[in-house]
Amino acid sequence: MAGMRPRRSTREILQAAAPIALAVFVFGASFGVLAAAAHLPAWSVVLMSILVFAGSAQFAALGVVTAGGSILTAILAGALLNLRYIATGIAVARSLPGGRLRRALLGQIVVDESYALAVAAGEPGRPDRRTLLVVGATLYTVWVLGTVTGTLLGPVLGDPKRLGLDAAFPALFLALLWPMLSGRHAVRCALGGAAVALLLAPFTPPGIPLAGAAVVGLWLAR
Amino acid sequence: MAGPLALLLVLGLAGLTFVMRASGPMLRSIPAAVTTRTAGLAPALLAALVAIELTGPNGVIQLDVKIPAVVVAGGLAALRVPFIACVIAGALTAAGLRAVFHLN
Repeated sequence: MAGMRPRRSTREILQAAAPIALAVFVFGASFGVLAAAAHLPAWSVVLMSILVFAGSAQFAALGVVTAGGSILTAILAGALLNLRYIATGIAVARSLPGGRLRRALLGQIVVDESYALAVAAGEPGRPDRRTLLVVGATLYTVWVLGTVTGTLLGPVLGDPKRLGLDAAFPALFLALLWPMLSGRHAVRCALGGAAVALLLAPFTPPGIPLAGAAVVGLWLAR
Repeated sequence: MAGPLALLLVLGLAGLTFVMRASGPMLRSIPAAVTTRTAGLAPALLAALVAIELTGPNGVIQLDVKIPAVVVAGGLAALRVPFIACVIAGALTAAGLRAVFHLN
C-alpha cells in the first residue's frame, strides 16, 4: 500500500529522481542544440525553457518554426500539447500548499515526470507533496541548465543534417507518443490525428493539419 | 529568427502554459467531461507532428533517411528503452545512413 510507506527524506526523493534528471538534462541540451540550428537567438531559447518548462510543447513549437510555419501556429501547437496540464493541475491541487495564488505559482513546476513520481509516492487521490515540489524544482533547474548547455554546444556541432538532427524531431515526437498509447482511446486519437494531418498537409498551409489533428483528438477521446 | 518575433513566440507560449498550469490549482473542480476530451489532444497532436515531420515541401510523405530513423526510434520505444536513447538512436540512424550511403 502506497499510503503505508514511511515519509521519504529529501535525499531518497532525489535519488529516485536522479536518472530522470539526467534524461531531462540531455533532453534540454538537445532542445538547445536544435533551437540554435533553427537560428533562434540563444537568449530566447533559454528564456523559453525558463518560462515554459514543457519539453514536448517547446519541441512542437520549434518543429513548426523549423518547418517554416508562422509564430501563431507554433504557439498554438505548443499550447495545445500543454492542455493536459489542466488535468494534471486538478489532480495535484489538493497536494499543493497555501492559498490560491501560492498554489497556482507552485503549479508551474509540475511536469509529467514529477507528477508520475508524486503519484507513485503518495496516497490514492493525493500525490505526495514533497516529491512533487522537490522533483519539480530539481527538473526545472536541470532543464534550464541543459538548455544553456545545448545553445552553447549547438554552434560548435556544425551542420545539423550531417548529425541527423532533423530526424531527431519525428523520432522525439514518436518516443513521446509511445508511452501514451496505453488505451484504445489513445491509439484511436493518434491514428486519427496522423491520418487527418497527412490528408490536409498537401492542400493547406502549415498549422491547419495540426489544428485538424487537435479537433480529431478531441472528437475521438471518448 | 528576429529577436522581437522570438520574444513573441516565447511569451505567447509561456502565457498560455502559465494559465493552463494555474487553472487546476486555482479552480480545483473542472467538469470531468472536459478533462476526458482534452486527454485525446496529446496523442493526436504528437502523431500528427510525427507525420508532418516526415512530409516534404509539397506536403506528401518524403522517402528519405528520416523514415528509417523514426522506425528505429519507435521500435526502441516499444521495447521500453529510455526516451532520450530512442531519440539519439534515431538521429544516429539518419546521420549514419547519410554518411555511409550518401542518402538524402
